[in-house]
Amino acid sequence: MNPRLLRQIGIATIVSLLAIALPWLGNEYYTGFFFTLLTWIALTESWIVISGMTGYVSLGHVVFMGLGAYVAALTWMEIPLWAILPLCGLAAGALAVVIGYPCLRVRGPYFVILTFGVSELVKFIVVNIESALSQSGRVLFAAPDINDLFFIGLGLAWASVVIALMVRDSRFGAGLRAIRENEEAAETIGISVSALKLAAFVLSAIIPGMVGALLILRSTYFDPLQIFNPQTSVLIVTMAVIGGSDRPAGPLLGVGFLVVLQELLWANLPQLYMIIVGALLIGVVIWVPGGIYGRLQRLIAVPAK
Amino acid sequence: MRLLSVEAIRKSFSGVVALNDVSFSVGENEIVGIMGANGAGKTTLFSIIAGNLRPNAGSVTFDTQRIDGLRPDRISRRGIARTFQIVRPFGNMTVLENVALGAFYGRQRERSASVAEAKAKEILERLGLADRANLLARHLTLAGRKRLEIARSLATEPRLLLLDEVLAGLTPTEVAAAVEVIRDFHKSHGVTILMIEHVTRALMHLCHRIVVLHHGQKIAEGTPGEVARDPKTLSAYLRAKPV
Amino acid sequence: MSSQLLIAALVAGSVYALIALGLNLVYGTMRLLNVAHGEIVMIGAYVAYWGITLLGINPIISIFIAVPFAAALGMAFYFGIFKRAMRSREFMERIEANSLLVFFGTSVILQNVASLLFTPDQRGYHYAERIVYFANAQLPINKLIVLAIAALVCIGAVVFFRVSTLGIAIKGLIQQREASALVGIPVARIDLICFCTGFGIAGLAGVLVSMTEEISPYMGFPFTITAFVIVILGGLGNVFGSLFGGLLLGVLETFGVALTAPSYRSIMIYGVFIAVLLLRPQGLFGAGKART
Repeated sequence: MNPRLLRQIGIATIVSLLAIALPWLGNEYYTGFFFTLLTWIALTESWIVISGMTGYVSLGHVVFMGLGAYVAALTWMEIPLWAILPLCGLAAGALAVVIGYPCLRVRGPYFVILTFGVSELVKFIVVNIESALSQSGRVLFAAPDINDLFFIGLGLAWASVVIALMVRDSRFGAGLRAIRENEEAAETIGISVSALKLAAFVLSAIIPGMVGALLILRSTYFDPLQIFNPQTSVLIVTMAVIGGSDRPAGPLLGVGFLVVLQELLWANLPQLYMIIVGALLIGVVIWVPGGIYGRLQRLIAVPAK
Repeated sequence: MRLLSVEAIRKSFSGVVALNDVSFSVGENEIVGIMGANGAGKTTLFSIIAGNLRPNAGSVTFDTQRIDGLRPDRISRRGIARTFQIVRPFGNMTVLENVALGAFYGRQRERSASVAEAKAKEILERLGLADRANLLARHLTLAGRKRLEIARSLATEPRLLLLDEVLAGLTPTEVAAAVEVIRDFHKSHGVTILMIEHVTRALMHLCHRIVVLHHGQKIAEGTPGEVARDPKTLSAYLRAKPV
Repeated sequence: MSSQLLIAALVAGSVYALIALGLNLVYGTMRLLNVAHGEIVMIGAYVAYWGITLLGINPIISIFIAVPFAAALGMAFYFGIFKRAMRSREFMERIEANSLLVFFGTSVILQNVASLLFTPDQRGYHYAERIVYFANAQLPINKLIVLAIAALVCIGAVVFFRVSTLGIAIKGLIQQREASALVGIPVARIDLICFCTGFGIAGLAGVLVSMTEEISPYMGFPFTITAFVIVILGGLGNVFGSLFGGLLLGVLETFGVALTAPSYRSIMIYGVFIAVLLLRPQGLFGAGKART
């Protein structure tokens, strides 16, 4: 492991250790706010492993979160939490294999709308399953309190950042970036393009699956129409794009910016928030490609590697 | 020993026949040239050998094993590397990273980043790109990109290297330099080379043998001298393009 | 019983065909995935709704307001956003994925502006709801009007593309963009015409939809999905193909829902969408590759 990577992981770990103190410092509102921040970090950092690195933009990533939430809702009270979480991750990973295998063959923009379509399809399938089971929403009783969820969320966020850092710095990551640059040339120099894409896709799904479990435990209510919300996918994409989807530091900026904005606007003007999100997405894609982090990099003239 | 054997290859695209019953072989350590007017099917042939395309009929045998129909990455791992006529660098990665990728995923499947980078640096030295190692590939000149393409291919440690018009678009000085580079790594790395070229002079200087294609068919084969004197070649190709 | 369903399918299908026609124009010429297409339909629907609710204007008259309005929106979008975007090298490097994100952002903005201005609630108005008999079926007059107008425009489009110079030029542009410029077709101008006309037709479709259905700020997306399915199935730039595809989809959907249940409608739409994208992406580019 090279020193730079070690340093980055070290910084992430120290910050996380410091963050452990948060629930004692503030009140429940702030713990909740930071919990939200952490879950978005976990989602977005996981997302860039596939979409930032390979350029296959997934606009349906909420499907993994939703499936994790469903698995958690089904198994809550049946098995302990420490077993539920990995199960959710596994389920999400399995779904990623099922989705990824056919979908990753499709190029660029079609992959984008395809993942969106798959996410909606899974949503409606779950809706129909639930109504076939005569369930209209499930309530989760005796869910853990926000402090416990906070610590798990912190762990997931830390893990997602470390994974993103390690992938970026590895042989695997170099292969993914080559696929993004020129897929045919990558295959010609020996990169097993399908295998790498699928591996990245599965890796990007696991933590969101577990995040889904956490979110459902926080809200204590499972409703497929709510949890499989396409807006979540859009927000993930926007946070990553604004911050910069090439390096793990980028999403941190994007998440911070949009979550703070969300806190300010969501209660009273949720539509205004989404309008700003839409405008930001357009603005950044056209005028600030590489996101805020990319722009910062250029300003500080950090060399390419 | 015959390293590569192409037999009765046929390829058509929606009714247009690109290659018709093409057969030839390449011996180990040879430099074989492929000549022919535009549209003669040369790049299609390369794409079939390297696995980017499947032939409609015929076979490709590499080191006694059939490789037609295999995926490009599998073929690369067996030891065939190719460059593209329109170069395809990984533009937003550095020159060093580009070449290191070849070491990572090529025949040796190098796992260690430091070893891969060391190998890459050595190849960059050989090809005169060491001074631009940290430059983003998209900032290279055309000549630089062509060298990068070769360097990246060499990093996969191929036994057979397919060079597709690597001299096109270069000034005469750059051509002479590139020819030297090719001759040099052919000797030092023991790579067998199959090269498509329009710069006939270079072919004559470098190649042990030349294969001439015309409208998808092989019309001549032999040493440079034999091919230059062959009446079929002269009428089909050389007269159409004054050397 | 089944002629009842058939007529319903025709009505639905004709609207789908219309929406697909509009998408074909935008998508076919510029090769950009306009996922905000359904939102233009939504805007047309609201124009008609407010027209009749506030001003008492007959929805058919609203068509003449909605279409220019939508076309103007198209023009604003084209000049305001896309022309600028095309100047950025990095944008052009991945133009298809990037423009999709831009259109997606636009659709999010449009949905939420509408939701903010008009509240998220579903709305509807009553228009021409008297039941009549037609071809062995009972249906309200408004559905007949929808069918008539949609059919008229679609047939008009088919004729236009066969007969007029502009129509032929557009078809040429869709099939061979670079070659078209070489033979003197004014590509930029036709791009603009197609863009605005595509938006305009979507606006028209929105007015028609509002006559028979309830509307809401979020009604657009299913139309976008079905439009893409039709365009892919029917072949890009193939006007006749997308008409046929629209009708086919109308039939599939109506009969499918009748055979199963309304809640399966979404599953079917998205299921077909995914299947089409996975199995026939070649339909999008004709000879080109949509697969990696």
